[in-house]
Amino acid sequence: MSAVLESFYKGITYRGTEGHWAWILHRLSGLGIALFLSMHIISIFLVGIGPKAYEWVHSTLYVSPPAKILEVLLIFGVLYHAANGMRIIIIDFFPALGKYQRTIVRVELVIVIVVLIPAAIITLASLFS
Amino acid sequence: MSVVTSPNVKRKYGVRNFERFSWLFMRVTGLFMFLAITFHLLYMHMVVKVENITFDNIVDRWTGPLGLVWKVFDLSILLVGMLHGYNGVRWVINDYVHHKGWNLALRLTLYTIGGILIAAGLMVLAVGPGSLR
Repeated sequence: MSAVLESFYKGITYRGTEGHWAWILHRLSGLGIALFLSMHIISIFLVGIGPKAYEWVHSTLYVSPPAKILEVLLIFGVLYHAANGMRIIIIDFFPALGKYQRTIVRVELVIVIVVLIPAAIITLASLFS
Repeated sequence: MSVVTSPNVKRKYGVRNFERFSWLFMRVTGLFMFLAITFHLLYMHMVVKVENITFDNIVDRWTGPLGLVWKVFDLSILLVGMLHGYNGVRWVINDYVHHKGWNLALRLTLYTIGGILIAAGLMVLAVGPGSLR
């Protein structure tokens, strides 16, 4: 266990800093979204079977309070993956901007958080009504 | 630069061209999904809201006057999303699993699950709601 923790610590403190953390978060959010998409297709498949099957799964997997909190995590993952993907595309096609990549990562995170806050409020509102 | 005349050269270039295509594919589908998934999130999560989605309003959406437009949109995010997402998982497998047998086994599992999910999605869009009973 301590070996795992040590390699985790070494991983996040690697000298890549902003660019490296952006890459780690891109991977994690990507894997998370791929997993969610797989589940999403299965639940939509139930629409083909009928209202009872679909609505039972929908109400338990997507609408329960823990699901609403996970939905905020999903929205964060999607917003981050989208914003960071745009940063990757921009730097791929305008390599000169690589000089400012740390600043671009910071600006990107600010944009993600600014968009996430109202989205999270709208998503969690149903828990308090 | 010296000319490489290895018997493997043809196969290697084939792989390289595929990975180059794969790189471009991720950029193009990424741009498409930046627009499509932003719209999907805004509409389904912020306007309709997940707790209000029912079987009936999915039926209304697919069979209403804009039914075909919605089905084409859903079809496009199904295919593009699955190919972009599962290609990303393939990149992760190739990055961490270097043992040839395990790498192949994991990728074949991934392709099988991906194929089944795409087929399931296509089936629902093709036959319509409630008709698979």
